[in-house]
Amino acid sequence: MYTARAIMLFKALILICATTFSTAQAAVISTSEYIVNETQSSHLSNVERLLARDDVQQQLVAMGVSPEEALARVAALSPSELQLLSQRAQEMPAGSGVLGLIGAVFVVLLVLELVGVTNVFNSI
Amino acid sequence: MHRWLHRLSLVLCCTALVACAPWLAPASPSQPRSIELSEVPFFPQAKYQCGPAALATVLNFSGLDVDSETLESAVYLPKREGSLQAELLAASRRHERIPYRIPGTLDALQQELLAGNPVLIMQNLGIDVLPRWHYAVVVGYQAEHNSWVLRSGTKQRSIESAASFWRRWSKAGNWALVTKPAGELAATVEPRAALQALADVESMLSAQQAQRAWEAALLRWPEEADLQFATANARRRRGLIADAAALYRQLIKQQPDHLAAHNNYADLLLEAGCPYQAELTLNAALEYENSTALMSATLHKTAEEVQAALQQKPAETDCPIN
Repeated sequence: MYTARAIMLFKALILICATTFSTAQAAVISTSEYIVNETQSSHLSNVERLLARDDVQQQLVAMGVSPEEALARVAALSPSELQLLSQRAQEMPAGSGVLGLIGAVFVVLLVLELVGVTNVFNSI
Repeated sequence: MHRWLHRLSLVLCCTALVACAPWLAPASPSQPRSIELSEVPFFPQAKYQCGPAALATVLNFSGLDVDSETLESAVYLPKREGSLQAELLAASRRHERIPYRIPGTLDALQQELLAGNPVLIMQNLGIDVLPRWHYAVVVGYQAEHNSWVLRSGTKQRSIESAASFWRRWSKAGNWALVTKPAGELAATVEPRAALQALADVESMLSAQQAQRAWEAALLRWPEEADLQFATANARRRRGLIADAAALYRQLIKQQPDHLAAHNNYADLLLEAGCPYQAELTLNAALEYENSTALMSATLHKTAEEVQAALQQKPAETDCPIN
């Protein structure tokens, strides 16, 4: 518990240092920075963005993705997608289709299918 | 008494009709025309793998050689037994294909098909309280039957009636995606959506690809200030300094309070050995009071660098690119 907190604190410290030094370097405003800062309603600091990336990576690993692949996957997510996933990855819709449908859900959907509310099984 | 009952039943019927309206809503595109992109490949889905299969379908059609098993490691979440929408976008970016979100209308779908673009959509095959999310690729529309043709699940040509198609699609928020290589745009994408799509993919592209992508968007919407800004940045990143400078100047003239353009133009001038001209540009920007704290800090940072350069180069000289 304490080690986890210490690691978290350590990471935050590194991130703060990294972002402080990076802003001191170049004065050019990149397009993605510009879009994030000027046109999006939610304003996240660099540190918050990096923490969101770290958080999503951990969530992906918890959902069965290998750590290396999780790193590559978060690298391709946009800042707003990272923010959204870090808050709601668990309840966001995950497309899976209807193959391998089992248990109670299967029974309920089968009944709905028979009374004509849905036609799930038509698309298998 | 009878008349009263009659009226009541009429009202009830109308209410029921309105309640069902979202399902029935737009039955067909406003100008129905049959079209089918029969050359779109088919990847039948394995268990829970409609995400990788649908993505492989559109990516292969755009000229990539990638199968659904490869994509599985990029989008599939084992514990969720499915794939998230955001990860489909991300995986497309990793393969240097730009995922454009298009408007969720039947007209937009038909227009994309007519432009030769298959459309990846999300559907809800279940009901609201018991959703069953699914990805499929729309490849055709049959005007005579008012039905849509999809690559879906294990069916190569799944034909869905307009009503059923609309219900499933609208229950998933009318989410639709067209993936294109750099330099090509979706037919119906709106300028803000294109700006977002390109900004999000840029770090995955080479400087050359990125510039080609931005130039294509600027060609379609030459008046959009932020597209001008982004294209100028991309030109500079590729080393096309004079072309970048010309576009920054055009943007500043068109929208004098575009402070980011002032800043980046000043930085370009400074690097090109023109600190005097950089100072002029910055002074114009620093007069505006509409800037955010972050923007103001960046402008002052650039101004400091300009002042340092001016002290090293006291005599005013001609600037080759101004």
